[in-house]
This record gives sequence, C-alpha cells and structure tokens, in this order.
Amino acid sequence: MTMTRKLDRRGFLRTGAAASAMTLGLPGIVRAQDYPSGNINVVIPTREGGGADRNFRAFTSVWKEKLGTDFEPGFFPGASGRVGYEIYMGKNEPDAYNLIFGNMGPEVLNWAVQPPSFPLEDYFYFGRVDTDPGALFVGAESPLQTMDDIIAASKERKLNVGTSRMAHPASIGLLALGEELGIEFNLIPLSGGKNTVAGAVTGEVDFSVLTSGSVIAAGDSVKTLLVFGENKVGEGLDNAPNINDAYNMSLPEMLSSRAFAIHQKAADDYPERFDLLQSTFKETFEDPALMEAYVASKGTPEYLNYGGVEECAEFMAAMLELGERYKPLLTGA
Amino acid sequence: MPLDPKDPPRQLGGELVIPVLAVAFTLYYFSSIWNSPWTAQVSAFMVGGILLLVCAMFFLRAILWLSRGQASLGVGNLFSIEDLRTGRIGLIATTVAFCVFIDQLGFTLTTFLFLALSMIILSKGKSPLLIVAISAVMALGGWAVFIWAFDTRFPRGWFEGVMQAVIANG
Amino acid sequence: MGDTATILTEVFFETISFWWVIVPTIFLGLIVGGIPGFSAANTIIILMPLTLSMSLETGLIFMVSLYCSARMGAGIPAILVNIPGTAGAAATPLDGYPMTKQGKGQQALAMTFVASSLGGLLTTIIALAAMPLLARVGFYMHSVEMIVVMLFGISLIASIAAQDMLKGLIAGFLGLMIGSIGTDVVYATPRGTFGFLELYDGVPLIPALVGLFAVSEAFMIIEKRLIITEDAQKAMARPSWHATFEGVGIAFKRWWHITWTSLIGLVIGVIPGAGASIASFVAYQQSRSFSKTPEKYGTGHPEGLIAPESANNGVTSGTLVPLLVLGIPGGATAAIMLVVMQFHGVSFGPSLFEESPKVGYGMFMAMAVSYFLMILTILPLSRYMSRVTTVPTIYLAPMIISFTLVGAFVPREYMFDMYLALAFGVLGYIARRTGYHVAAILIGVILGPLLERYFLWSLKKSDGDISILFSSTLGNILWVGLVLSLVVPIWLDMRRKKNAQKDQEEIPIQ
Repeated sequence: MTMTRKLDRRGFLRTGAAASAMTLGLPGIVRAQDYPSGNINVVIPTREGGGADRNFRAFTSVWKEKLGTDFEPGFFPGASGRVGYEIYMGKNEPDAYNLIFGNMGPEVLNWAVQPPSFPLEDYFYFGRVDTDPGALFVGAESPLQTMDDIIAASKERKLNVGTSRMAHPASIGLLALGEELGIEFNLIPLSGGKNTVAGAVTGEVDFSVLTSGSVIAAGDSVKTLLVFGENKVGEGLDNAPNINDAYNMSLPEMLSSRAFAIHQKAADDYPERFDLLQSTFKETFEDPALMEAYVASKGTPEYLNYGGVEECAEFMAAMLELGERYKPLLTGA
Repeated sequence: MPLDPKDPPRQLGGELVIPVLAVAFTLYYFSSIWNSPWTAQVSAFMVGGILLLVCAMFFLRAILWLSRGQASLGVGNLFSIEDLRTGRIGLIATTVAFCVFIDQLGFTLTTFLFLALSMIILSKGKSPLLIVAISAVMALGGWAVFIWAFDTRFPRGWFEGVMQAVIANG
Repeated sequence: MGDTATILTEVFFETISFWWVIVPTIFLGLIVGGIPGFSAANTIIILMPLTLSMSLETGLIFMVSLYCSARMGAGIPAILVNIPGTAGAAATPLDGYPMTKQGKGQQALAMTFVASSLGGLLTTIIALAAMPLLARVGFYMHSVEMIVVMLFGISLIASIAAQDMLKGLIAGFLGLMIGSIGTDVVYATPRGTFGFLELYDGVPLIPALVGLFAVSEAFMIIEKRLIITEDAQKAMARPSWHATFEGVGIAFKRWWHITWTSLIGLVIGVIPGAGASIASFVAYQQSRSFSKTPEKYGTGHPEGLIAPESANNGVTSGTLVPLLVLGIPGGATAAIMLVVMQFHGVSFGPSLFEESPKVGYGMFMAMAVSYFLMILTILPLSRYMSRVTTVPTIYLAPMIISFTLVGAFVPREYMFDMYLALAFGVLGYIARRTGYHVAAILIGVILGPLLERYFLWSLKKSDGDISILFSSTLGNILWVGLVLSLVVPIWLDMRRKKNAQKDQEEIPIQ
C-alpha cells in the first residue's frame, strides 16, 4: 500500500496535475512580468470533492500553465454558496490574486430571492467554463414515461416535481413550462441532487428536474424527457428534445454554469493584471489539452463552453430578471 | 412530583437556567419567522409552542414549591466554592481563552499553551515538567496530523510559518 | 444460480488475497472514525488522489473496509471518554460510557466489536441474498413513512426523561428547537440563525455532538482523579484478557439481540437519505421498549450498547443496496464511492449486475471480509485501548477539550464551528449540573431537522393538508407500531409492578 506516502492532498494534486500536463507535452508559457508573483487563491463556495472541485482542478491544470502560477482552492461551503461569496467579498483582498469560482445559475438566482450583504456590482464573472442545461427526468419505473404522460396526468391531479432547491434554473425551467402548457406543478425542493434523483426513482415525487450533469451520472435508473436548453450529449440524456423545440418556446437556456469571477475593484485598480487573467483564460480554451483534462476527470466535455465578460454579464442579467419574475413562487411570499 | 419534606429545600436557581434560556431562544426564534412563509413556521411553532408550554409548567411548579418552602432559588448546584478549588473555573477560562487566542497565535502554540496551563491549574502546580512535555508532544502531534499531513485550514501563527519555511528549505 | 455461486466463490478468494490492503485500512479507519470531525467520507475525499490512482479492485476494497472500520472506530471514544466520533455513534455512550465508569471499558469495547462485526457480517450476508427485495424498501418508505420512523427515534426523549418528565421534555424540545435553526427546506427562509451564515444549513452536527457530550463531560470529570470509580480502579489494576472474553461472551449470549437490532439498521440503511444516527436511536428505543429491564438502560446495560452498535453497522451494509441496485447513494460515503467508481468507468444502477457482477458482489464480499478481519485484529486491542481510562483526569480533561474543539473545526474548516462547540459545551455543562439530560438535547438536535424535512416534504406534497400523514397503508401500520411501542412498555411496567405488589402481599402469608 502507498499509505506511507505523505498525505498532503494539495501537494498530491499539484504533482498529479503537473505530471499529467507534462505527459501531454504542454508548452509552459511563463510570462516575464511582475504578475503573478504568487499563487492565485480561489474561493469555491461548495464542498471539497464535489462537482465544482473536479471541474476546477481540470480547468486550472491547463490554465496554470498559461498564467505561470498555481491556483490554490479554498472551500467555503454553506447557505447555497452565500458563505463563500461573503468571505470572498468581505475578507479577500481585491488585488487580482483572489478569485471566486462560482455557479452563475443557482447562485445568481439566490441573489434575486435574497440579496447578499454586498452590492452585486462589486463583483463580476469574467470567465465561463461550462454550460450545463437543466433536464426533466422520470424514474426508470415511473408510470409516466413520456411528456404526453406527464401532461395527461397533470390534467387529473397536481403533479409533485422534485428539484434540488427552489432558486435553481431547473426549477425556473419547469415553472416556465407549466406557464406555457397551462399546468400548475408542485415543486418539492429535495435538498440536493442526490435526493432529487432518488425522489424520482423511488416515487417520492412524480418526476424531477435537475442539472443534466447529475442526471447523466444517474445512468439508466432515470429517463430524461426534456432538456431546458440544447441537448449536446444526445444518448446520455436519452436524446431528449430541447424545451424550445418541443413546445415552440423561446426560453433562455436554464443553465448551471460555472465561471470565475473577480472583485470589480481589482479589475479597476489592476487593469493589466485583469487583462492577463482574461487573455490566458481564453488561451486555455484554445488548447486541446483542456479537452483531454476534462475527459480524464470524467467531466462532460460537451459542456465546456467559453464565455467572456459580456456573455457572463448577459447570463447574470437574465437570471436576475427571471428570479425577479418568479420570486413569489420561489419564496412563497 | 411531591418532595420529601425532610429533604433540604431543592435549589431551583440553577435548574431555572435552562428553561429561561429555552424561553428566550424560542421567543427570538419566533420573532425571526414572524413574517415568513408557512413552511418556515409550521414545525417551529409546533415545537416551540410545546417547549413554551412545558417551560411554563416548570415555572408554575417552581413557584408552587417556592411558596411552600420546599425549594429555594439557590444556585448551589451550578456554582460552588468547590468549582474554584478543583480548578474547574480555571479550566473553563482556559477553554474560552483557547478559542479566543487560537486565531492570533496559531493552532500549535495555542494548543500547547492551553494544555500546559490547564493541566498546571488542575494539578495545582505539581509535576510541571511532565506537563510541559505532554503538552508539547500533543501540540506537535496535532500539528503533524492536522497541518502538515492533512493540510487543514487551521489558524496559522508564527510556529506554523517557521515550520513551513523549514520544511520548504529542508 | 450456479453462476452466481461460482462468481461469489471466486470473488471471495480474490478479496481475501487483498488482506494486505484491508488490514492497514482497518487501522486507518479506526483512527479516523475515532477522531470527531473525520469520517470515512472525508478521509476518502482527502485521499482521493490516492484512491483514484489505485486499481478498481484495490480502490473498492480500500473504500469499503475504511467505511466499515470507521463506523466501528467511532464507537471507541464514545465508550471510553464519552465522545461519539460521528452522529452515528451518538447513542453509543448512553450505556457504553457508564460501563467504562464502572471499570468495564474493556468488556464494553469487546462487546461493541463483536456486536458491530456480527451485525455487520450478518446484514452484509442478508443484503447480498435479498438485494433486489431490499432495494424495493426505498420505493415504499417515502416522506410520510419516514416521519413515523423519526418519531420512533425521537420518542426516546420521553423514555430518557422518565425520572423528571418536565425537565426531560424541556431538554428534548430545546434540542428540537435548536435543531430547527437554519433555512426552511422549502423556501430557504433563514430562521433563528442570529445572523450567522454558518448556521443557514442548520446546526452542524459534530460541534453539537462534541460540545454537548465531550466538552461538558471534560468540565465534569475533573472532580475525580479518574473517570472510573474506585472499585473499578482496583479491578483495572490487574489487567487481563479475562475482561475481553467476558465482553465477547456477553455479546454472543445476546446474539438474537444483535440480529434484530442490526436488521433495523439494515432496513433504515437501505432508505436513501436516512442514516446511521436515526438507525441507532431507533434501535436503542426499540431495544428499551421490548426489554424486561427498561430501567437499566442508561446505567451501563449491555443491550443498550449492543443495540445502537449493531444497528449502525447494519446501516453500513444497507447503504450499499440502493447504490448498487438503483445507482442512488444512501449516504455521504456511498456518494463518494459512486464518484470513484464512475471514474473507473463503472456505472451503478439496474444494469450493474449484468455488466460487471464482480464489482457488485465484490463490494459486499469486501465488506464481509473486512468485518471478519476486523474482529480478529481489533479484539485483542480492547485490553490496551481501555487503559485510556486510567489516565488521570487532570491530563485527560484538557486533552479531550483541545482534541474535540479541533475536531469540531475539521468538517467545514470554520472557526465558527469551534466557538459553537464551546457554546454547546457550556450549555451541556449547565444541563449536567442542573439535572437536564444532554442526550435528550442531542436527540432533538440530530433528529429534529430530519423530522422537519420529511414533515415539510409531506405537507408541501399535499398542499398543506395534514391528513397526508395518515394516507399510506405502510405509514398507518408504522403509526400503530409507534403507538404500541410507546404504550406496551408502560403496560408491561404496570403489570410487573402489580405482580411485585402481589408477591409482596403474599410473602407474609407464607
């Protein structure tokens, strides 16, 4: 057993990532500049070992080669991401050595429901890593096996729909679908993706909506019927159609979308540092090593999707607007 | 529950602390959900309502006992001179200090100081060398497990800084 | 069937050949299980790079044996120094620690090891045999049914409170109220958080656990030189293997008790989302309800220790069932196993036993072999572990405090959690000094949020119609069972008292 090895996990990961980068034959572009002169600290507002963690490690394993410095994650889970953001905005220096790796979908929707202690303009997302649309799915043994089944059943009774939490893009997708079809669904927040899948499989709820990455991971115990956006993985989501195609709607994609964000003040005070972050972030996407790192980390490479400041701002605005619109349904107020 | 009249009066002062805390907390909790949706309220009002009820019954029983002279408002079961003599007050104080100072002094040093100081207080100054040795071993062991091996986010002070530099160069 | 038997035999011998992985892992698991704040789940995360670099088989065996041994490890400090290492061991000190105080720590440990291993081994075999059937349990145990299961556990407050019912209820309901801190599960409205974001997800369990049990206990024990009584000291002065054998004997004599309480654990374990803490409280409550000597519970009664320990090890095998058969992890550790297995390209779910039966059977086999090897490796250690109780309290108390406050910090790495553990320590200390049961508070803190969650899910599903609570057949059966398990002991007790009275009346005539 290799148990006798020193158990420094961050060291492990660093060496592991470096080794894999080397085997991939990456050109190490190190820039002769003052910045960065140390590690970049990244707040991750979710648990270590979760989806964001894996995603972060795969992405930064390539990005760090471009920027010429390491990324050091700090995990601050709690209150649906609020703790991490509050710590980032309240305690971390706005000097471009501190970033936050958040999820623009649910976390921004959260702000619409209950604003944070800091003004929203004080930070902004500048680098979108992936876009993962929400999906609607039933348990493999559910009596409801098609969208038509669901629509027919909902004419007889109000269907219970599992979701990981109220303020989530997938929940909004369902509410929008209900509006379009004139059906009232009863959203049951089952606290987390694991329970949401379990709820649909065991019949606690009639069906569930969830970020599609987690639905793909659930394998053949569930069947996907609808995607709140483009179905880029095809078979993995049972070739389910896009909600807009299926019902002739023009709903913006309901995404879970991970992105790096930075203090507004850091971008203002250190424009050249921010430029370097932006340009290297973009270069990372142009490097085929990124795709390989994603495949190696068992991510869904189809969901890798570059976005810059503009795309992120647009998405954040759309989320805030939708959050405002559905606020009564999401907060019970 | 009738008390035996031959017993010395039951000291109710200490026993009242928990119900008073419970009532205060419940009222605060209620105030925090007064304007919330029903989902936030239903269970809390049920549980809190029962808690207030049992506390009220306890207070009534206490008043009854007090009026009959079966109980007093003494706090002897909560504080006594024994607590000072055994070093219990000292231990509680060092525990609070441990939590307060760990942020500034770092994990290893604070743990060492806490262990050494509280053991010396409890042993009333006997075998200080042994105590210092035990404390040092424990603190260093904690450092090795939590900071060096598992790399947790424990507060770091100068000791951790020095050790990091030593390891990095060594 | 013949195929399955061949696969099983093959897998058995393969697993045994991995003893060199299992034995060191058992020790690692005992250690991380014993340190509050660490668990099998976060150890696997911390060692993730290592786990992922192992071959599929090695990784699987490593994770499974770590899971089992960490569960058993959590019981050790619970018995010896009143520190449950995880919420799953929260019911263990109720009778385990009093045994230690009486100088029977070594017996208690031996008993736990046997109960845990037998319970674990037995439920593993049953789980393997009845997997498809057990996997269906989750299809019937929905939120309504789970409310009743929670109430089984919570009703323990009433039994614990028997001496002074008012004070017991105050403690229990205060615990439930503290457990209600955090956002509501439906609309995420923050409640009773004093403005702390760290409390939005509810009161973190480890700080509550170590504060109420360990820190407050540390303040109490310094009155005496040792935590064990004077008589016990004399007995402990002559260490021998005898106590270990005695413990083993006591446990084996109660094989039936181990069997049925571990089955409670198994059934609760297969329900996705339920866990070891519920199972151990329910098992303890049931064990007490059907005991002929309920008044002995809480004073160091062997059954009071065997019940929660066999139950929480039953949960361990139970959580594998939904993971393997449905692809739904039953708990945190199972969820991480899922991630690791997916990394190796194995997908759990209905097709697992068709596509890679060796993985499916292999996990159970790894569990069975781990339990088997565990009893062999750990039992001899009980003699040495129990020596901890001979450390004078002036050294033990500060060590317990620093060790557990640090443990409170570990799961989330927030300083806040350390302060919280201190606050719970002070609350627990006041409670102990003034005759309130900390266990009653703790049951409320642990089970309260779970009860509320299932309750709100049910109510949200019915749009607020309370009659949903009595809408399912299985639920109604459970309700009847709950009422019976509360009423029957009272009735039995009354009958016993009546008989005793009759006997007394008869004596003078003789």
